[in-house]
Amino acid sequence: MIKKQFTHPDDRINRTRRNLLKLAGPFTLFMACPAYALDLFKIIDPDEKSKDIQRAKTIFEGVGSIATSATDLDYKSEFAIGESLALEGFQRFGLPSKNQLVQKYVNTIGNAVVQNSMRSDIPYYFVVVENNIYNAFACPGGIIFVSSALLKSMNNEAELACVLAHEVAHVGHKHALQAIKRAKFFEGVGKISTANMKGEEGKKFQNMIGDLQTVLFDHGLDQDMEFEADLSGMSFAYQTGYNPEGFIRVLDMLKQKEATAVKEGSWFSTHPPLTDRIQKCNEGMAKYPDAASLAVVSNRFVEYRKLL
Amino acid sequence: MKKIGILTLFGFLFISTVIFASQPPSTIWVASDNAKLKTDLKSSSATVAELPKGTALSVLAYQEKWYQVKLPNGKTGWIYRGKVSETEVQKTQGKEEGSSVGGLLGDLSGSNIRADNTDSSRSIRGLSPEATEYAKQNGTPEVYRNELNKVIDRKVSPSEIDQFLKQGKIGEYQE
Repeated sequence: MIKKQFTHPDDRINRTRRNLLKLAGPFTLFMACPAYALDLFKIIDPDEKSKDIQRAKTIFEGVGSIATSATDLDYKSEFAIGESLALEGFQRFGLPSKNQLVQKYVNTIGNAVVQNSMRSDIPYYFVVVENNIYNAFACPGGIIFVSSALLKSMNNEAELACVLAHEVAHVGHKHALQAIKRAKFFEGVGKISTANMKGEEGKKFQNMIGDLQTVLFDHGLDQDMEFEADLSGMSFAYQTGYNPEGFIRVLDMLKQKEATAVKEGSWFSTHPPLTDRIQKCNEGMAKYPDAASLAVVSNRFVEYRKLL
Repeated sequence: MKKIGILTLFGFLFISTVIFASQPPSTIWVASDNAKLKTDLKSSSATVAELPKGTALSVLAYQEKWYQVKLPNGKTGWIYRGKVSETEVQKTQGKEEGSSVGGLLGDLSGSNIRADNTDSSRSIRGLSPEATEYAKQNGTPEVYRNELNKVIDRKVSPSEIDQFLKQGKIGEYQE
C-alpha cells in the first residue's frame, strides 16, 4: 500500500483554521501581557512542529520587545542597569568598607529580611560604603548600598534590618524603574545586551543611568513610593522577627541630626520630610500590637559597629 | 430596665466581636522562603516538612506565635507566624528551578522575572558583559569594577541565615 504523499487542499484549509484558533489565545493574552503569550505558545506547540505557530511566535517576540516597558524588563536587563548604577554609586559615595566581617554581617541581615519580602526570587547584595553622609539606596535588580555613617548612627540590629528592608521593598516594588520608565532608551528595547551599550543606543543607556542617578542620588523617588517602602519594609522586618519600630527609631535619630548634617545626596534630600514619615510609620505600627516583644539585638550589633 | 437591656446587648455584641476577632483564620499561606513545619511549637523540634512559598495550610490552632496546621497530605505540625500570611500568596518556583510553566507561574505571582533568567544570572561570576561594556564605554576606573565584582561574588546561604537568626534568638528562634 502506497502512503499518501500529498496534502489535500481541504486538509490545508482545516489546518490553517485550527492554527488560527490556536493563535486566538496567545493574541488575546498578548494584548494583556506579551510575556504570558510566549509561554502559551510553548504549551500549544511544545515540540515546535507547526511552522505557522513558530512563525507567529517570532512575530510576537519582536513586537513584545517593543511593547515592553522599563518595569517589564527581564531580570538580567534590570540587573545590568543596577550594576551600571552601582559603579556610579561607588564613584559618588565611596568604596566599600574593607572590613569583610561587617560586610558579611550586613549581607546576612539583609538576606534574612529578603526571605520574608515580596520578591525573594532574585539574589540581593548589600554593601556598606565608607561615607560620612546618612544614606542608603537600592539599585534595580537588588544591589543595596548603606553608608558607614548611617550604620554607625544606629543602635541595634532591628534598626539596621528595618533600613535594609526599606531598600529591599524599593527593589520589590521596582520603584527606581518606574521613575525612569519614560527614558528614551526604553523605546523599542525589551532586553539589554552589550549591543545596546554602543553607539546611539549606548548614549541613550548612559543618559538613562544619568537620570537614575539624578533620581536616586539627588532628587529622590516619588513621596508615595517612599511611604510604600517604609510600610512594606516594616512588614518584612516584622515577619523576620525584628521589632519594626526600629525604623521609626532611625527616623527619629535622623530628625535629631537634620539641622547639622550634610543634606546633599543624603536621606534628608532624597526622602520625604521626616515628620511625615514618622507619623505614617507610627500609624502603621497599629498592625503590630506585639512589636515590643520582638527581637532588637543590641549587643551583637554594637560589636560589629565597633569594626567600622 | 430598658437601659440595662441595651447595655447587656452591647456587652454581648462586644464580647462576641472580641472572640470572633481572636479566632485564627481557617486557611493561611506560606509567605516566606525557608519555611519549616515543626513537630512542636519550638524551632528546636524536629522538621516535618520544608514548605514552598504559596503552600495553603489548614489552621487547627494558634498558640504563642505558632500555628498548628494540616497539610493537604494530612500531615500536621507547627509553623511560626512570621512565615505565613493570612492573605493568599501565589506559588513560586524558587530560585533554583526554571521551566516554561514555571516562568508563567513566576510571572503570575507578580514578578516579571523569569525563573530561568534568575537562574542563569546566579551562575555568572562577577560583572555581567553588559555592565562591563558600560564601564568600558564610560571609562569607569578598574578599582570600581573590581569592588563591584567582590560585592556580587559575596553569597549568604539559607543555612547561614538560619544559624544567624538562631544565635540572635530572632523570629522562630525567640525564646
